[in-house]
Amino acid sequence: MASQIFERIAQHAPFHDEGHGFDVFGLEPHRLARTVEATAAVYERYFRVASTGAHHIPATGPAIVVANHGGALPVDAAMLCVDILRRSDPPRIPRAIADHFVPRLPLVSTLFARLGVVSGTRANVRRLLERGELIALWPEGVMGPGKPYRDRYRLAGWRVGFAELAIRYGAAVVPAAIVGAEESWPVVAKVSRARAFGAPFLPIPATPIPLPTRYHIHYGAPLRLGGDADDPDVVAAAAGEAQRELERLLAEALAARRSVFR
Amino acid sequence: MVVGAPAPLGVAIVRALLATPGIEHVLGVGIETDAGLPEDPRVDYRAVDLTHPRALHDLVWGDAKDARIDTVVHCMQHRRGSDRGRRIHAQNVEATRGLVVACREHPTIARIVYRSFAEVYGSTHTTSDLLDEDAALDFGPTAPQWVRDRVEADLTVCAQLGGRVAIAVLRCAEVFAADTGSQLWDYLQSRVCFRPLGFDPMINVLSLDDAARAFAAAAACTATGVFNIPGADTLPLSRAIAASRRAGVPIPGPAMTPLYALRRWIAGFDFRYDLNLRRFHFGGVLDGTRARTELGYAPARHVAWP
Repeated sequence: MASQIFERIAQHAPFHDEGHGFDVFGLEPHRLARTVEATAAVYERYFRVASTGAHHIPATGPAIVVANHGGALPVDAAMLCVDILRRSDPPRIPRAIADHFVPRLPLVSTLFARLGVVSGTRANVRRLLERGELIALWPEGVMGPGKPYRDRYRLAGWRVGFAELAIRYGAAVVPAAIVGAEESWPVVAKVSRARAFGAPFLPIPATPIPLPTRYHIHYGAPLRLGGDADDPDVVAAAAGEAQRELERLLAEALAARRSVFR
Repeated sequence: MVVGAPAPLGVAIVRALLATPGIEHVLGVGIETDAGLPEDPRVDYRAVDLTHPRALHDLVWGDAKDARIDTVVHCMQHRRGSDRGRRIHAQNVEATRGLVVACREHPTIARIVYRSFAEVYGSTHTTSDLLDEDAALDFGPTAPQWVRDRVEADLTVCAQLGGRVAIAVLRCAEVFAADTGSQLWDYLQSRVCFRPLGFDPMINVLSLDDAARAFAAAAACTATGVFNIPGADTLPLSRAIAASRRAGVPIPGPAMTPLYALRRWIAGFDFRYDLNLRRFHFGGVLDGTRARTELGYAPARHVAWP
């Protein structure tokens, strides 16, 4: 199974090679494939990820997967990306969009770049969509991991920029509800004064490592957002449409699961 | 007229121009008395110090007018990153300003192609990995003179856009070859190359042939504005070190500046870490879409690693 995953990612997923085995953002498919292989047990056995609706991920063309966000560190983002890598057909490499402070983090910035993560500047996202790539982003931004436990699965600080770009570049928006992540590694406190490397806060998790909650990922049908991308009302309405669809998916997924660990 | 003709890039541009159909005459200009330009009856050379306003005026309104020069390619910037002072500023900025102003009302000169640099962009953790022509410039008050001069000269030329003379500003990726002033080339001359621990940014370098081709294409067309000129090699810094068969050793970032200052002081190398600090942390690759669509330039030749 592991070698199939490697072959799927390293050899069959489309990739814009700049001539040395990397794309312009630093993605290295072989490194990505090896990492996914090496962490297969986390996906399969620790979090036991169950996924439905991956057929909604468009096979080609620009697309944006928008998901809820929670937990001390972006484990949910990693599991979503691994799930897309494993289940999209034909295989597509999701380009996770990270906050601006990530490029300042030693080691992490380089590792993330090799795995396909891109800093969330407007020009970066625009270029990815122009190339017809699949983007994964979390419109809650850093507000998601900073949510108190009582607010789990309530979307916080929903940003609208993705909707504007989706309209402008004709990108399909695929909502993805991630259930299990927001109980896995709850944050008990935020240290706002510790702005190391520009991060808005330092999360203090309740447990040293994430709890082995079961992840359920539900992809919704792709939304085609239309209208005038320069009109703030149109963009806000489009972002709201995606938010409501994601909330509906989250409610369904929460109602369907039997317990946090099953 | 190729200003800065004796430099490796200038020589390559002269060669590329001579290979371009329709070029009748190339007037090379530089400070050096011996230019080393190709032997060709269409090539002339003048040794002129453009920091002297009279000499500059006489060149533009004398030799250039007599030779019916219609296009000026300006690529004469001081190359050594460790030099600084008023004399360097005069060559980088004042001579550029004087040349552009002198060409403004000239009877035969209708086009200027100016060589600018990718280093004019202020690469930080908030800027894009891919820098287009609208990316922010580096106006940092603590930027080294090498950068400040280049930003000022770039803007001096850009201020003349839209006038009678058609201007193309080519913001080139680092031309990676010996004697071109390439910081990376100098950096890779040591057997052991230190790099900041935890960072391995994407870099882009331009071959001399591609750079010359871009200038020849810009000289031959009528497109105006700013154009990014990327090279064919985009790779992580660690891979560039490996391609040069050097040993890359990650060390804490704060140790890089004093270490390379010591190297410069003891062995006379030119590489300055403060000039490359941002690039060695955050990278930044030029987006050449505009050059491809309007100049017909696309990078094709890989660099030769030392």
